[in-house]
Amino acid sequence: MSRVGVFICHCGENIAGTVDVAAVAKAALDMPGVVHAVEYKYMCSDPGQTMLKDAIKEKKLDGVVVAACSPRMHEPTFRRTAEEGGINPFQCEMANLREHCSWVHEKAPATTAKAVDLVRLQVEKVKRNLPLNPIRVPITKKALVLGGGIAGIQAALDIANAGNPVLLVEQSPSIGGHMSQLSETFPTLDCSQCILTPRMVEVARHPNITLYTYSELEKLEGFIGNFKATIRRKARKIDEKICNGCGVCQQKCPVKKIPDQFNEGLSNRPAIFVPFPQAVPNKPVIDVENCTYFKTGKCKACEKLCPTKAIRFDQEDQIEVHDVGAVVLATGYKTMPVSNFPEYGYGKFKDVIDGMKFERLASASGPTGGAIKRPSDGKEPQHVVFIACAGSRDRAKGVPYCSKICCMYTAKHAMLYQHKVHGGTATVFYMDVRAAGKNYDEFVRRAVEEDGVKYVRGRVSRVYEDNGQLVVKGVDTLLGGEQVEIRADMVVLATAVQAQDNAEELAQTLHVSYDPYKFFAEAHPKLRPVETNTAGIFLAGACQAPRDIPETVAQASGAAVKVCGLFSQPTLTREPIIAVVDRQAPPVFSNCVGCFLCKSACPYQAIEEEAIKNRNGDVIKTVAKVNPGLCQGCGTCVSTCRTKAIDLQGYSNEQIFAELMSI
Amino acid sequence: MAEPFEPKLTAFVCNWCTYAGADLTGTSRIKYQSNVRVIRLPCTGRIDFMMVLKAFSRGSDGVIISGCHPNDCHYTSGNYHARRRWMVFRDLLDFVGVDLNRVTFSWVSAAEGAKWAELVNETTNRVRELGPYKEVQQLAAVGIE
Amino acid sequence: MEALRNKAKELLAAGAVKVVIGYGQGTGDSRRPVFVHSADKVTDLVFDKACTQNLATYLTKSEVRAMGRMAIVAVPSTLRSILQLAAEKQLREENVVALAMIDGVMKDLSTFDAIEETVATVPDAISEADQKVIDKLMAMSSSERRAFWADELGRCVKCYACRSSCPMCYCERCTMDCNRPQWIPVASHAIGNLEYHVVRAMHLAGRCVQCGTCGAACPVGIPVHLLTFFAEGTVRRQFGQKGGASAKLDYAMSTFKPDDKEQFIR
Repeated sequence: MSRVGVFICHCGENIAGTVDVAAVAKAALDMPGVVHAVEYKYMCSDPGQTMLKDAIKEKKLDGVVVAACSPRMHEPTFRRTAEEGGINPFQCEMANLREHCSWVHEKAPATTAKAVDLVRLQVEKVKRNLPLNPIRVPITKKALVLGGGIAGIQAALDIANAGNPVLLVEQSPSIGGHMSQLSETFPTLDCSQCILTPRMVEVARHPNITLYTYSELEKLEGFIGNFKATIRRKARKIDEKICNGCGVCQQKCPVKKIPDQFNEGLSNRPAIFVPFPQAVPNKPVIDVENCTYFKTGKCKACEKLCPTKAIRFDQEDQIEVHDVGAVVLATGYKTMPVSNFPEYGYGKFKDVIDGMKFERLASASGPTGGAIKRPSDGKEPQHVVFIACAGSRDRAKGVPYCSKICCMYTAKHAMLYQHKVHGGTATVFYMDVRAAGKNYDEFVRRAVEEDGVKYVRGRVSRVYEDNGQLVVKGVDTLLGGEQVEIRADMVVLATAVQAQDNAEELAQTLHVSYDPYKFFAEAHPKLRPVETNTAGIFLAGACQAPRDIPETVAQASGAAVKVCGLFSQPTLTREPIIAVVDRQAPPVFSNCVGCFLCKSACPYQAIEEEAIKNRNGDVIKTVAKVNPGLCQGCGTCVSTCRTKAIDLQGYSNEQIFAELMSI
Repeated sequence: MAEPFEPKLTAFVCNWCTYAGADLTGTSRIKYQSNVRVIRLPCTGRIDFMMVLKAFSRGSDGVIISGCHPNDCHYTSGNYHARRRWMVFRDLLDFVGVDLNRVTFSWVSAAEGAKWAELVNETTNRVRELGPYKEVQQLAAVGIE
Repeated sequence: MEALRNKAKELLAAGAVKVVIGYGQGTGDSRRPVFVHSADKVTDLVFDKACTQNLATYLTKSEVRAMGRMAIVAVPSTLRSILQLAAEKQLREENVVALAMIDGVMKDLSTFDAIEETVATVPDAISEADQKVIDKLMAMSSSERRAFWADELGRCVKCYACRSSCPMCYCERCTMDCNRPQWIPVASHAIGNLEYHVVRAMHLAGRCVQCGTCGAACPVGIPVHLLTFFAEGTVRRQFGQKGGASAKLDYAMSTFKPDDKEQFIR
């Protein structure tokens, strides 16, 4: 006979203000199987939890219903309390009297009646709850970090320094990401590559980090602690082990006119190239789409001239499968292309550029050696207009959100311009200046007060070319909406930060959720910002939302510690909400008839075949068996099974039936 | 004077989307009618049509079934299987003369608190118009139950 | 028919099969299943237009399986049932040989591939008469349909003949037999009858070969086969998958397409 205890929480006035909690407690005591029913102001508080534990012991309860807030809020809390009180945690259920009752209905008898019904539902369910024990699963203590920008680098270093092996996979030929393209970083104006390259080298040298560049993730199977990652190591066409990075191949390659992606098209590169001089690894790669040999079968200059004979034209992509226990997603961002702005020239005006291009102009190791020059004629621009919020906060462009970093880098760009072109004028058209970080606002003030950058509050409706100059038509709202027209030599657009083009595909490969803008979804926007809803996959950096370098580094370290926390346990404890195929005594052995329709329905391939044999080794029948390590507890198999030989622990047929019978 | 008829609704919802969406309705303090009783399941894939039949024979006048939008299922494909099942079940119910106006299917995500309230209100009003599900309720009490 | 008897004799005499499941003379004009174990009894086997019952249900009974390798006189629907049973791992190729009777011609088929090929050549539509009744029902209003089924199912005595005669109802413990929990009442009940038949039709959706044996088996003449036909028809129309097409499992209700189209989900 059940001995269920019902604990009704007032939640201050949140529940008690609308629901007659005393009446609910009284009604609960009349429910069959309930031996104890009390109400209390705050069940989740320390005294509340102590009261729960004491009641379990004194009244010898074997089931507990806490009628309070949503189980999504406090089920883990009360399950732990119940366990401390001496019963199995899965014999504790919660009735949602707050989010589903007191907060959404008026104070009325019907509301209290609903509260009583909700309690009765859970009482009936908990009477059928069986004690469940957590499942222990072995963990592969190796992490996979996807993305070699600053986020991936930081996460990899933190995980590796904690003593765990890391596989860092980067799709371009070098790690470094967007940060390696930047000139100086706000608010300190540190040289970006100077602070980044030591980290890049550390990654390359670290004994615990295996670096795979020019590689991509093809498939991820398995589950937390037990992933199988299929990595495609694309062919560089170079034998990395014997290449010594001398660079002769790049100098002698006859194909010289390919726009250089790293320099945002401001310069050209050969078909065999290293992305930038500080690349890690400092080994070239052949761009097969533009290489003469791959297009026509001729040339082979690099092969002839390579002193170590490292060129391998017939090198193939290699597929490798790695066992890993956790994945950190650090795949970064892209910026909205200038071609997206008809009002600013569709990208056809050479001197209307985006922020990243400006970075390459300003960079000391860039195509102009750090001199600000117009892409059209190479002259120094005397008047530069910076347009903030180009695309961001604009529903018409499909980006209603703020890209966070642009106000800061626009101020930085304006300052750098003023430092390099002493007589020049810089004007920034802005909507708001968002400079919320440490020393950020002081930085923007410096731009205005010390470097003479002119800030105009208003948007730019149009930019067009006129006689070799650009005409910028905007408005100054602080002067009452006065029209402003500026003749500029260069216009820099702070274009919106967006998710990478392949973000959706990658998310689907990993079974990770994403938002309408294809940024990866965190498990909880406030309290779980580095985890995804897919156990074992963590987030770091701008692939989750636009963010600047300090936040990215912080988040990457946060993700790393989650991984280390996972790896610090000997085994992983999993929730036992899994499906189980029944087993009976001989001669039945199981109600399962071995049709395996469940197997084809399972999204996790968690159902296997089990041959039940007699003592001679002959197979009596083959039935289904659930792999407790793989099953995630969705229950699709249970509703597919005609004979109900498979059931879901925690949401069993008996439990649901009891709930329905109680309505 | 008999009390005006108040319909009894049973809702089968998935934990990750619709239950969370209903929680959001609560956190946002959006009010809706109190006739619905929610049965929490891990996924819409877990919903067996026998549960829907049982809800009706136990006295529900209307049933709501709701889960994650396609492509967003926490378990990747439970809602796709559920959708297929409902496509066949619904046609079959219609064939045997069950009033489909009493069954509502929907996708409500964890961010759609307002949609949940709207859904419950609209369904409650609709079922109230239809009246109690006499055809089932009168017969269900007869015999074994 | 002679060809059939000769083949049966041959198989039994050689010991290639231990039992031939076929049709025998029943009372009057009816036919009933016979189980022939020895070569001299093959005269018990008959075959004519009255032989319509889907005998495949016996392939799933443990008492029959225990006899050894089986041969079965197979009308087209029986062949489809064999394929569906194979897809659901209930039949092994080496344990069964089909003596297909198509348009009066006998063909013995001992591999699932051969059965698949044969089945692909036979048209697979429900009878005109049945289609007419379904169309008539769909033209009625919802409450008229309800009245029709209430009237029909009011006669149902829960004998479970429909279940026993169906080859796809081979579960050793039917969901009706499970009493923890008891989802649907076992005995005849005004609502329970409808629930039982609806559940059975749902369990068959995507697996039914539309043989109609369930309706023929009903002792009180309820057209229960219309329900399974309808459910199977819905699956075929909506998803393009069907029961009994192949020995490789392609079950509509455990697969899906991300863009399955429906209009009724808000």
